[in-house]
Amino acid sequence: MAKILIDERECDVAEGTTILKAAESAGLQIPHLCYHKAFMPEGSCRMCLVEIEGLPKLELACSTQVRDGMKVSTKSESVIEARKGVLECLLADHPIDCPICDKAGECKLQDYYEEYGLFESEFNEEKEKRQKKIEIGKNLLHDQERCVLCRRCVRFLDEVTKTRELGVFQRGVHAEVATYDGILVDNNYSGNLAELCPVGAITDKDFRFKTRTWFLQSRESICTLCSRGCNIYVESHQGFSRFSLPKRVYRIQTRENQMINGFWICDKGRYDYSYLDQERLDKIVVNNSEDPQSWQEITSIVAGEIGRLFHMKRSSHIGLILQSWLSNEELFLIDKIFRNDINIGKISFLDPPEESSDDFLLTAERTPNRRGAKEIGFDLQPADWEKFLEDVDLLFVFASPIKGDTDFSPLKAALDKIEKTVLFASHNHEINSLFDMVLPMSLIAEKGGSLTNIVGSVQGFSPALDAPGNCKPAWQFLVDLAKKLMINFDFYNQFSSPESIREVMKKEIPYFREEHE
Amino acid sequence: MSPELTDQTKKKIEEIASRYASKEAALLPVLHLVQHEKGFISQQEEKQVAHLLNIKPIKVKEVVTFYTMFNQKEVGKYHIQVCSNLSCSLLGSESLIDHLKNKLGIEIGETTSDKKFTLMTVECLGACEQAPCMMINFDYFGNLDKEKIDNILDNLE
Repeated sequence: MAKILIDERECDVAEGTTILKAAESAGLQIPHLCYHKAFMPEGSCRMCLVEIEGLPKLELACSTQVRDGMKVSTKSESVIEARKGVLECLLADHPIDCPICDKAGECKLQDYYEEYGLFESEFNEEKEKRQKKIEIGKNLLHDQERCVLCRRCVRFLDEVTKTRELGVFQRGVHAEVATYDGILVDNNYSGNLAELCPVGAITDKDFRFKTRTWFLQSRESICTLCSRGCNIYVESHQGFSRFSLPKRVYRIQTRENQMINGFWICDKGRYDYSYLDQERLDKIVVNNSEDPQSWQEITSIVAGEIGRLFHMKRSSHIGLILQSWLSNEELFLIDKIFRNDINIGKISFLDPPEESSDDFLLTAERTPNRRGAKEIGFDLQPADWEKFLEDVDLLFVFASPIKGDTDFSPLKAALDKIEKTVLFASHNHEINSLFDMVLPMSLIAEKGGSLTNIVGSVQGFSPALDAPGNCKPAWQFLVDLAKKLMINFDFYNQFSSPESIREVMKKEIPYFREEHE
Repeated sequence: MSPELTDQTKKKIEEIASRYASKEAALLPVLHLVQHEKGFISQQEEKQVAHLLNIKPIKVKEVVTFYTMFNQKEVGKYHIQVCSNLSCSLLGSESLIDHLKNKLGIEIGETTSDKKFTLMTVECLGACEQAPCMMINFDYFGNLDKEKIDNILDNLE
């Protein structure tokens, strides 16, 4: 261990720690552009200069390791002067086109100018003119004028994807980031580059000129497009009072979790978010009519149907088809209600087929909670549907939110013959019209709960968006339904939130105790 | 398109690479060798060198474009590099460069149509004591004036 003093603040850090990391552990931020936790220090931007007692020159905080007894100042006059100088040089070769830059509002260069710059420009010369809209990837554009040559993008492609589509060519004032021989950045992690870029040099075509970053509300969530469970931020726009916007979600950003996804998310998780807004089902539909009907009425009707068959000892004629888009808590409730209490005996999963994994984060499974379903005790093998539906009188189906993801054709022929069919759906879909009752469901991003990812990590999540219209989280409906059924009222009456369900689930299923979180 | 690297060159590259712990470390000496043999390093050579050293061609281009001593396109038989930095400028290199342009009928960075001369400027040849100075291929010429330059060029084959 080394004992060092940073701005009069004592910190004990491991030998070999860099000054920048030591300062961060002591709650002191040192400005930096090229340094990123995911990579080795680069030392090219010079923003992190600090003063070390006894040394004649300022040193780089990102790459200088601490020594016992070191006294570091991050706020001395010479440090502040140096930062100004570095910023002045960076900005002399920068277009300062913040008003039309997508990065504005979350740009490090902009922030640091506010924090450490605030000088009058003495640069009277003509600025270097460079290309401002070069296609460098399927989703990416590059602005050479804004680039500060931190090489974060190059290092990402070198170390993380190992595809190395970008390089820095030429040197000095002519240095520029570019592709080689017309090969564009085209890997499943390309979107990370726009987020990794500390300035607005690499921008995302999907987000380009769509909105300003300061209008976005960033809320924590978990990606549900495969079973990795990458940690994300869902960034949405609340709209303006004078006019509403056609959508809520404008982008998905990564959220660091070293146990799951590190610093990155894949392009599927980043760009395939339109399902959150498009074609949403937000009304209760009964017999193809949207005539207003309350959840209370619907719950009574459904409970009545189940109760009727249950009391006639015909529970075995109730069928339930699930998808692993449901949370652990919801699957736990389904297990309790339909298997324990009513013992329907006919439960099967109809998940979308597996697709190829990319051997990094994206898994072959295209639903988020197959592992959770397995740990709760469900059999995930799809049934022989003809046999499954043969003598079903009452059928419940939970549908996938992604259009065309799941093949519902094995069900279609049988639906007509079943007395009563109920679909829980989040989206408008051609199969909806084949059901007697279609109930609007909240998505994972609109409710709370937990998911178990492919390697068995249980991750909790909270709503990142408000549920549209009359959508309800499945857990809420299941609790209401169970209470209406009056089979085990006291057990279900204790559930007022996903957390309360999880507490009980932890007691009943050893797998969900803390160690998997 | 220039011809492929000869087997002999490839063998030399292997030999140079074998002196280093990693093949990538041999990049600079290998590029010097290729330039010596071929006169310049184009994309084709970048790819061949990358293949032989088992690295990505983009890394070779980064190095080739960083160092001004690597030529990316064909240069004339005589590669004239005139210093345009401080000491030489103070002692009149600007007018010498103009003289060379007029004499050869080319701009900086260009090659005469008979492929005999290429004219370039460089930032300091490390020979300020002989300013103004220039290099022709690997030979230094200092304390230049117009007559001296005429004399030197006229004596080149």
